[in-house]
Amino acid sequence: MSSPYRTSVIVALVLLTACRREQRKTEDKSFATTVPAGTQPGLLVAGGQLAFKPDPKQAAYEHNANALAEGQRLFSWMNCVGCHSHGGGGMGPALMDDEWRYGGRIDQIAATIVEGRPNGMPSFRGKLTDDQVWKVAAYVRSLSGQPTKDVVSSRADELSGTPPQTLEKREPVHPAESTLQ
Amino acid sequence: MVASALLALQPGAATGQTGARSAAGAAPADNGNWEMPGKTYASTRFSAMREITPGNVNQLKVAFTFSDGTNKGHEAPPLVVGGTMYIVTPFPNIVTALDLTKPGAPAKWTFKPKPLAASQGVACCDVVNRGLAYDGGRIFMNTLDGQTIALDAKSGKAIWRTQLGNIARGETVTMAPLVAGGKVLVGNSGGEMGVRGWIAALDAGSGKLAWKAYHTGPDKDVLIGPNFHPFYASDRGKDLGVKTWPPNAWKIGGGTVWGWISYDPKLGMIYYGTGNPGPWNAEQRPGDNKWSSGVFARDVATGQARWYYQSSPHDLFDHDDINEIILADMPVGGRMRQVLLRPARNGYFYVHDRLTGQVLTVAPYGFINSATGVDLRTGRLQPNKAKEPHQGKVVRGICPAAPGAKDWNPSAFSPITGVVYIPHINLCMDEGASQANYIAGTPFLGMDVKMYAGPGGNRGVFTAWDPVHQRKLWEKTENLPLWSPALATAGGLVFYGTMDGWFKALDQRNGRELWWFKTGSGIIGQPISYRGPDGHQYVAVMDGVGGWAGAIIVGQLDARDPTGALGFLGATKDLPSKTSKGGTLYVFALPH
Amino acid sequence: MRRAAPLLFLPLGACSGVQTSLGGQGVEGASFIGLFEIFLAVTGVMYVIVIAILLGGLFRRRANEGPTPVPDARHPLLRPALIGWTGLIVLGLSGLALASFLEDRTLARPGQKYPFSIQVTANQWWWDVQYQSSDVSHTVRTANELHLPVGVPVHVALKSNDVIHSFWVPNLAGKQDLIPGRTNDLVLEPTQIGQYRGQCAEFCGREHAKMAFDVTVESPAAFQAWWSAQLASAKPPSVAEAAAGAQIVTSGPCAMCHAIAGTNASASVAPDLTHLASRRSIAAGTLPMSRANLESWVADPQGHKPGSKMPKIPLDAAQLHAVSAYLASLQ
Repeated sequence: MSSPYRTSVIVALVLLTACRREQRKTEDKSFATTVPAGTQPGLLVAGGQLAFKPDPKQAAYEHNANALAEGQRLFSWMNCVGCHSHGGGGMGPALMDDEWRYGGRIDQIAATIVEGRPNGMPSFRGKLTDDQVWKVAAYVRSLSGQPTKDVVSSRADELSGTPPQTLEKREPVHPAESTLQ
Repeated sequence: MVASALLALQPGAATGQTGARSAAGAAPADNGNWEMPGKTYASTRFSAMREITPGNVNQLKVAFTFSDGTNKGHEAPPLVVGGTMYIVTPFPNIVTALDLTKPGAPAKWTFKPKPLAASQGVACCDVVNRGLAYDGGRIFMNTLDGQTIALDAKSGKAIWRTQLGNIARGETVTMAPLVAGGKVLVGNSGGEMGVRGWIAALDAGSGKLAWKAYHTGPDKDVLIGPNFHPFYASDRGKDLGVKTWPPNAWKIGGGTVWGWISYDPKLGMIYYGTGNPGPWNAEQRPGDNKWSSGVFARDVATGQARWYYQSSPHDLFDHDDINEIILADMPVGGRMRQVLLRPARNGYFYVHDRLTGQVLTVAPYGFINSATGVDLRTGRLQPNKAKEPHQGKVVRGICPAAPGAKDWNPSAFSPITGVVYIPHINLCMDEGASQANYIAGTPFLGMDVKMYAGPGGNRGVFTAWDPVHQRKLWEKTENLPLWSPALATAGGLVFYGTMDGWFKALDQRNGRELWWFKTGSGIIGQPISYRGPDGHQYVAVMDGVGGWAGAIIVGQLDARDPTGALGFLGATKDLPSKTSKGGTLYVFALPH
Repeated sequence: MRRAAPLLFLPLGACSGVQTSLGGQGVEGASFIGLFEIFLAVTGVMYVIVIAILLGGLFRRRANEGPTPVPDARHPLLRPALIGWTGLIVLGLSGLALASFLEDRTLARPGQKYPFSIQVTANQWWWDVQYQSSDVSHTVRTANELHLPVGVPVHVALKSNDVIHSFWVPNLAGKQDLIPGRTNDLVLEPTQIGQYRGQCAEFCGREHAKMAFDVTVESPAAFQAWWSAQLASAKPPSVAEAAAGAQIVTSGPCAMCHAIAGTNASASVAPDLTHLASRRSIAAGTLPMSRANLESWVADPQGHKPGSKMPKIPLDAAQLHAVSAYLASLQ
């Protein structure tokens, strides 16, 4: 096989991998999502931590550009922006930094959205579908650079001119040290 | 020359140098106490004490301090009544009484109202409290979750509690109550949460609701009746609180009352301003949006409206009209008039006739390009079309920014000089509007805001303003946004604090900085001056940075997002390197 | 090939009925047709002349079997023929330019005053419609439908919340783009009472095809009656089933995006549902309006319109029934 031919085959194969990042999952085909009720936000567990198995849904939402884009849309529609701005925070805490009061895993964020938190975070139980909650949670994690660069938006969609997420460096996730403020 | 002439004047003398003096009847002789945030019903924030002067202020020393145990934004002034000082913290709104007769001022009692923790989530711009009020042996307070409480000033026991606000709808209460004519006056906050604004009067004795006036909706809700005679035609008509809104938009239209109320006991009238209309995206609420962003005069006994003036019809920029209203008497056009002095958020200094609401004179005291002026014939603000925000578009360089040329932090007025000392800000902004979505108990905005320093690069200004001739006498620029109120004294000084914690005394004549002291945290609290039990003059202030401007500190926000804290983050990126949270009372006196 | 031939006539199907640019049921559309006819006439005449000359040339070529004759530059007819030909082209093009200019002038209607204005905001993939008059408290918000009084010029302000769309009611007027951050203008003056269909005419994403709207042209009196009816709040449900549905709609996820005047649902990022059942179709022309279709739509929006922003809400059969009973009552 000649070298240019081989190169173009490789390029074509590489391009194919890009098809998955944009895969649109309408809800019929999406995972049967459930938000884990009352995921503990803290680190202290009486008798030691239970074995933790990462939720397979995390990859499905976090590695999908469409899920993140939909999450961003809902983040604005559900007025999350009003308190958390575009990650910098305001009435609510910043979401683009490395501090997570109630846990920074996607299931913990989903639980925070569903349950609400005592110092002012409202509960969205029965107001958003589970699929929507996971999309928002995935987008929230993208604010601190958790997903890979190939799925996040290379352009800031909001009017503020915040830097695009592709330029954001990944913050370490410090799970909540304390549930107290 | 000027100085000696000034000092020769007695406190409360007939007329100040500019010609303006405190309103007769609303500012009685100084008894050395500080019983309400504005000092008097005329909201002068002026102390007639003259022990501390430009000559000896450099010897001012800390007399004692007190840490109140909280560290959110401290906007409240201490109150002093007969040897006891009362302070209130931001959420959780703890009230402490300090015994000034004992060395070190130990606590006499502490009252914890225990407001709901969830109320912090619907407080737009930090969980502040703007102060207490004292009247007839009682301390009156508001809590963030919407209660008004009367305490026995001696024991700190609650006498009555009335729930007025509902946090499920986004209502909080951050203002200081005012006790006038036997009524406790309280309004709601939450103009950013789609609430319907109101002011309520509670019977000071029982806490029972005497009247409640909304600022949107039909006339009967607004308490507009036959005695309502606004000066300008655009404010006349039936049910304008409904007709100047798209259908049902008035139910979530704002017009809150979270600032200052003044009272003229002679006329029995209260004066106060209403907050911004909601949402911030003005394209969703075509019309004048009455009765938001304007000033009301009401009969304190019945609540019936007497006149109204709208500073920002169809407000485009979150220009609440809740700033302080100073009651004064001064010559206008050669005739002594009973007036209101208003350094408004939209950047104009208004002088109104207190009886009719007519705008007598108006002039910009800060840099404005969002409007071209005020038409004195119609009373109407003339907005600049080029700076009008539109959905889906970014409009740049709007001055003043959303917090206006001046936000909540009140000015001081000296009847000796007749000058208004205005602590204010110099910020501009970019705005991009988007569709706001109303969900009860969440923000209702539809606006991306990014603020930055205005022309000159300084974010704060302290201006001495001659209200009679509507001109600036002097100004002192401050690097950081100036978020602290001012205090004027008969000794010839003005005091204010900066967000990085410098508490300063300036010479009233020329703005020269004569004394400064660095506190632990930035200052946004109201300085006061009182006569101690020992007969000497004291100056007191709380530190504890916060509020909208200090949100980056109290909320530990991330400065990489300039739109954070409703856009204030863009203008306060450097604040964390200059100050941190706190909450300490500082009391100063000359050595004696 | 033969069998495919009838397909050539398929586009002609667009020339009749509720969605045709040759309908001319509006002043704008009709004057467009006038312009079209002028263009057709001029270009048609030119076409015939060119073809005639071409055929003449062919014919002469065939007649002379000899070598190609050299054109005689001194032929007495050549000069006037060239001048005439150039003149004809200049005249024809100038005529077209003038006609086009005059048409644009007519469409722009400088100085025209309008009794009210319709603000149409395009979203992926539906139309947000607001009727605005000088009395702001009479603003009416609806979606995916336009009611127009016959014989009255109406100003339409066109905006977009996301991407570029295009507003097109072929029977009434030409198309006009809706561009984020801009306001475009269009004037509609329908001349015939009737029902028409509008359609997004600029590809705007996955459900571009299902982004239509219904246009009702009616007598001014009927139009006023419609406007007044739209101003009213939603009637409280009268039967128990609808009341149960109202409970679900106004307290559940629906109220996070939709508004129903007279209830606490005041959200505005999705179509206003106050008078939903008075419209002719569901989800921007996706389904005809009926209770069965409402129920089917709520049960599976992603099946009917994959990618639509309407999520599938988990409801059981009884709840779905209640919701459709309530929605169908929103007349």
